[in-house]
Amino acid sequence: MLLVLSEEHKEHLGFLTQVDSAVVGEFGRIAVEFLRKGTNPKIYEGAARKLNVSSDVIQHGVEGLTYLLTEGSKLMISEIDFQDSVLVLGFSEELNKLLLQLYLDNRKEIRSILGELAPKLPSYHSLEWRLDVQLASRSLRQQIKPAVTIKLHLDQNGDQTTKILQTDPATLLHLIQQLEQALGEMKTNHCRRIVRNIK
Amino acid sequence: MELSEYVQSGLQILADSGCFSPSAYTVLLQTAFQSLLNAQADQVALDHPVLKHIDPTVLKHCHAAAATCILEAGKHKADKPTISTYLEDCKFDRERIEQFCTEYQKNKDTLEIILGSIGRCPLHVTDVSWRLEYQIKTNQLHKTYRPAYLVTLNVENSDSRSHPDVSFSCTMEQLQDLVGKLKDAAKSLERASQM
Repeated sequence: MLLVLSEEHKEHLGFLTQVDSAVVGEFGRIAVEFLRKGTNPKIYEGAARKLNVSSDVIQHGVEGLTYLLTEGSKLMISEIDFQDSVLVLGFSEELNKLLLQLYLDNRKEIRSILGELAPKLPSYHSLEWRLDVQLASRSLRQQIKPAVTIKLHLDQNGDQTTKILQTDPATLLHLIQQLEQALGEMKTNHCRRIVRNIK
Repeated sequence: MELSEYVQSGLQILADSGCFSPSAYTVLLQTAFQSLLNAQADQVALDHPVLKHIDPTVLKHCHAAAATCILEAGKHKADKPTISTYLEDCKFDRERIEQFCTEYQKNKDTLEIILGSIGRCPLHVTDVSWRLEYQIKTNQLHKTYRPAYLVTLNVENSDSRSHPDVSFSCTMEQLQDLVGKLKDAAKSLERASQM
């Protein structure tokens, strides 16, 4: 699968041919940093002054590069497809190799950043448990009522929440049985076949 | 067992065969137990023909007294001698004491279950449901290809007013961790029960 680049996009990337490879490398580093932490317009101004061009040109260059990297990572395109996509820009052999290397080096990280954008439910973080025995209450004395108190740690969008739950021994065994069945499902032929065939 | 003046006087009236004939006593006793144990029972039960000639205020007093006595006995898991002694002090005759104790013995277990279920506790897990999915892509990321579980713990509030179920997603490894910890808890429970 090839990346389709618009005319505007090609124009923005065209700036890269006017600078040497160290600068392209630097732009690449900036692009990934922006993906990690968000954009910082001051960087554009600093680079613009050093290279003696307007900061708009710098911005477009970095953004063009960012788009190239994120689209490639999102679609997980192969090396060959990436090279072919970039060929259309008419860059030098050296620049092409540089861009490919940039893509391959950062693909995994970019994919994990993109993965965080998906809609998400609270996810499991960890669980602590405690065994309690209720001995008496206001309405009934002389009891022996075992219970398991659970502290469930969940993550949602970076915030950790905690839920305190309680259950009785019979339900605990039932929960374990049900969840073990759930785990077993991945090993069934049906699931294995699907995992094998969707690639 | 220590009960208030109000309860004691109510029981004394109940003991009096002048106020309550043997059949009236039987009916009131049974009504008292039923109103505690049977969620559907209501005041209509006091309309029994045998109780018609008794003043309604007195009826309510004695019914409340009997019910309170039953609850106190249940709360402290009182044994027969304790109940007998107390009723004797309230001027119950042998026969009425026997009747009370028999009725109490019959309903003791249900009573204890009901009393034991009153009280607050953290959200109580009653069941779990799960869903296994295989993620293929999102609009931001294609070819993700990984399995994920969605687990929902069905939870009951002690007031059974709301059911704030707890849902969360997890990977296979995380689910294994969760199940492992629950198994540790179960093993620990088993060891504790053998002590």
